[in-house]
Amino acid sequence: MELSFLPQLPFALTAPIMFGALLAAGLLAGEAANRYASLPRITGYALAGVVLGPELSGLLSREVLQALSVLIDLSVGLIVFELGFRFDWNWLKRNRWLLVTAVAESVFGFGAIFGALTYFGFEPVLAAAAAAIGSATSPAVVMLVAHELRAEGQITERALLFTAVNSVFAFVALTLVLPFLHPDLHQGWQQALLRPPYILGGSLLAGAAACALMLALARWLGKREDRQFVLLVAIVVLTVGVVRSLNLSVMVALMTLGMLARNLDRRHVLMPLRFGYGGQLFFVILFVLTGAGLEFGAWATSARLVATLLAVRFLGKALAILVFGRLSGVRTSGAGLLAIALFPMSGLAVGMVRDASQLSPAFGSLLAGILLAALAFSELLGPLATQFALRRAGEAHPGAHGG
Amino acid sequence: MDELDFRPSPEISLGVELELQLLRAHDFDLSRGAADLLELLGKRKLPGAVKPEITESMVELNSSVHRQHASLRDELVVMRDAVVREAGVLNLSVAGGGSHPFHDWADRRIFPTGRFRAILERYGYLAKQFTVFGQHIHVGCPGGDDAVYLIHMLTRYVPHFIALSAASPFYQGEDTQFQSSRLTSINAFPLAGHMPFVRDWAEFREYYDKMRGFGIVASMKDFYWDIRPKPEYGTVEIRVCDTPLTVQRAALLGAYAQALVAYHLAQRPRAPARAVYLVNSFNRFEASRFGFRGDVIEPYESRRKKLGDDILETIETVMPQARSLDGADALAELAGDVRRGYSDAGWLRQCHAARGSLPDVVRESAARWSAHI
Repeated sequence: MELSFLPQLPFALTAPIMFGALLAAGLLAGEAANRYASLPRITGYALAGVVLGPELSGLLSREVLQALSVLIDLSVGLIVFELGFRFDWNWLKRNRWLLVTAVAESVFGFGAIFGALTYFGFEPVLAAAAAAIGSATSPAVVMLVAHELRAEGQITERALLFTAVNSVFAFVALTLVLPFLHPDLHQGWQQALLRPPYILGGSLLAGAAACALMLALARWLGKREDRQFVLLVAIVVLTVGVVRSLNLSVMVALMTLGMLARNLDRRHVLMPLRFGYGGQLFFVILFVLTGAGLEFGAWATSARLVATLLAVRFLGKALAILVFGRLSGVRTSGAGLLAIALFPMSGLAVGMVRDASQLSPAFGSLLAGILLAALAFSELLGPLATQFALRRAGEAHPGAHGG
Repeated sequence: MDELDFRPSPEISLGVELELQLLRAHDFDLSRGAADLLELLGKRKLPGAVKPEITESMVELNSSVHRQHASLRDELVVMRDAVVREAGVLNLSVAGGGSHPFHDWADRRIFPTGRFRAILERYGYLAKQFTVFGQHIHVGCPGGDDAVYLIHMLTRYVPHFIALSAASPFYQGEDTQFQSSRLTSINAFPLAGHMPFVRDWAEFREYYDKMRGFGIVASMKDFYWDIRPKPEYGTVEIRVCDTPLTVQRAALLGAYAQALVAYHLAQRPRAPARAVYLVNSFNRFEASRFGFRGDVIEPYESRRKKLGDDILETIETVMPQARSLDGADALAELAGDVRRGYSDAGWLRQCHAARGSLPDVVRESAARWSAHI
């Protein structure tokens, strides 16, 4: 007798099963990391990912991770949107040294990595691509640590602002360098030349269009926090989806959406933004998946280079903030802490490394591993650095049991 | 010389303290920028002083001593501009108003000094709920006995100052229906209220020594009275006002206090009466709740009248003194506001009705404080 209503075993691991399981695994690991090792929860999420990922247990294969990449994009989309939404042009107008400091922070970080890599004998073009990728700070880590600690103050605000600036800087710098990476310009020059303006221009346009739509709808909806929250999530998810389908940059489009929404909302139709618990769901998943995607391979072969890279990157950023920070109203003690807060490398590096490696096999074989190893290191220790900096600056809320 | 030696002020001088809200630019909730702001302001030369207050979301402007309200106003404008400019460097906004419309008191952080920590230790959540913003007006007087006399006289006008300054209709995200909800936060303190019915400075000293002996107070600062003597400045200090939405209005209120003091010192029209204190809390409530439309009991004549009418009559009575202090225009302006029913609380409510959300109200109120609108 055959019971056709019974499922075939083993049953398929569908999307909801994966989503729920990853969420629970991340949550528990985060809580355990915090409770037993006083680590930031984020580190716990990422560790859960490392354990589940292809490098260790292999429960999450590379194919599965690829399939779940849309979840990463959604989470990153929400985070960079918020980052953009908090980016205040008026502040930069009132405090010109702030913009100078932010740009210097990006440029010095870039310069330090570039200098170190050329010193180690890498070709300038490859070094420049790697330096561009390495100059960005992780929006997710800074934003989430700040949320978790309920941190508030000048160091937190500036860390967020500088992260927005260096993320954009990194993307633009890499986009400009990429055409030169192509080994044979004669063969694919159209592609090499047309790709940057397509991605940059297209992403900006997509962000601007989404912003116009959001402002129009928000105006019609009126000032109700609950409705506007749903609208925000809807527009962000929609934009992420469209941008993915058009092969554009989620980071640039969503940052643009956030920045424009904040700075073009002349009638003030939008309410202040609070993602609250809802955002937390995506953020746990983001770190679990990022953790699963981490590659430690190069640690074994070029640990010294990876460590040097991270060290000079930190020193470059710190130097810029120490030199210009005072002029923009940061206390000297705060400048050092700000540099520490900006330590975590951006997870966006994964996508950037992939792009660069596709264009240049030399980059893929020589530098990709090193950058990914540096990323892996800073993904696990970065939250600790940011948390230390915000706590030490006295900006964590005393009642926040982050950590 | 001890704390209770009254340092006489030769003339009817005037000074104010204004507690201000420090706001985050991105959502207009209260910030915690006081320490950074004070550090930046410390590098500038200012006519008065800027000081920390109980939580990190507030600072206090202290004017210097003035003879007329016009010079006070000009000084306050200079100080306001400096504070707004330096706050801008830190991406903070500054606003007046007696309460922040929607902050969560539990989020507040105590400014880290020994005294403020001790207040938190002693008063628990009241200390954080004390994140309300008031204007204190100091008026100089010739001696301790005069100070006691003036406090008994001025108590009758406490409702006037409440109604004229009222600027805290919203609290914890709701419309309180009050014109000034701020006083309710202060009423909760055990040493709030008014000075006891003492006859002169000697009797006040006796009372003070007794309270110190009991260990109930350690200094004059521990009394949170509506009006208290400030012997080291040689002033009486009126403490019931909400911080208005503009420095101009803060100066107008100063002019009114100065004229009242001048009138009572010159004319001594009445003797201190216990009846004033019988009706005080009723009148005070009416003023906080209804503003000019409230009913007050006139204690000397035992009759009920509209607070607005009482203010207009009083302004007329003290006008000669105001004139001699160059404050006639100021009082005329206040009278005009009473006649057309203008209050800062009403302005905030209108703003809410027009804009539809409390963050909008805070943004507009910050723009008004900064003289951008």
